Amino acid sequence: MSQSPDATPTARPYYSPPSASSRPQPANLADILERVLDKGIIIAGDIRVNLLDIELLTIKIRLLIVSVDKAKEMGIDWWRNDPMLNGEERTLADENRALRERIEALEAKESGD
Amino acid sequence: MTETGRYLYAIARDLDPQVLAEVPALAGGRLEVVEHRGLTAVVSSVDLEEYGEDGLRRNLENLPWLEEVARGHDAVVQATATRAPTAPLRLATICLDDDGVRERLDAWHDALEEVLDRVEGRREWSVKVFARPRPAQVAADSPPAAVSGAAYLQRKKAETQAREADEGTAVAVADEVHAALAARSVAGRRLAPQDPRLTGRADRMLHNGAYLVEADEGDAFATLVDELATAHPDVVVECHGPWPPYSFATLEQP
Repeated sequence: MSQSPDATPTARPYYSPPSASSRPQPANLADILERVLDKGIIIAGDIRVNLLDIELLTIKIRLLIVSVDKAKEMGIDWWRNDPMLNGEERTLADENRALRERIEALEAKESGD
Repeated sequence: MTETGRYLYAIARDLDPQVLAEVPALAGGRLEVVEHRGLTAVVSSVDLEEYGEDGLRRNLENLPWLEEVARGHDAVVQATATRAPTAPLRLATICLDDDGVRERLDAWHDALEEVLDRVEGRREWSVKVFARPRPAQVAADSPPAAVSGAAYLQRKKAETQAREADEGTAVAVADEVHAALAARSVAGRRLAPQDPRLTGRADRMLHNGAYLVEADEGDAFATLVDELATAHPDVVVECHGPWPPYSFATLEQP
């Protein structure tokens, strides 16, 4: 784990390369989508598009049900490693804990907004 | 002739439009600015076939399109934010013409000024904490064939309890990391942990924090993250940034 915030404002990589799990991408798509779809200022323009229809949760679900073959073509194969998706055991306790944290996160988000 | 609209990326103050000359706009367009009452909107023209209401409804469902636009939007916001106080706009904010853009700058003028005051000279850092995956059980000392049903269940139970204890500790560590980072920032927010299906990682995200940090304190902040990572080898701490202040540029909605 190490990152060196660049002092010059021109060439400034988002990604801190040395971290063990970094991917060879400028910034990970999840982070970008989270910010451009869920953060930032909302000003209604003349073109009305309901981003609620594509909120992150929905996108995730859509990512899941998007044709598996197509996703494979695109190199998206994370479900192979996801215990929730590849049929590995997932206990009730795990589920409950995940839900509790989700609620906490939502509450934290609510109070932070 | 096709109809075009004005796509808005960000609103800035004291922005020299020259600095955007080399930055690519969406859809092969060119970045321009619309200035009004001391605010500068960064815009480019987009085809309403692609970016009109029908086009967007269709295209936003198309992941490669969405990815390209999200990255393009972010690149422009990033370029703007490194040069001037910047309020990033949400993806797909589109007006029909420059008059429409000026109307928005007028209507939101005071609130936008407040946002720009808040983020000026500051950067957003993302710090995530992941549960370190538990090493796989070594099965060599207990060949499966020789294990009775009761012993097997007992072992399973012990494994589950150990895992839960680990994760309980990890959650406490995440709280501690957040508290330490928030104390060193102008503002800190806990965002919803990202779903593993979106991050593509098997290890669970315990904390997804965003921190607004003075631009000249980025090094000190990064050092603190390193110290926290070293102090807590039981979790994985990752720091990315700096980002434009997406998580801290929020308007009070009327």
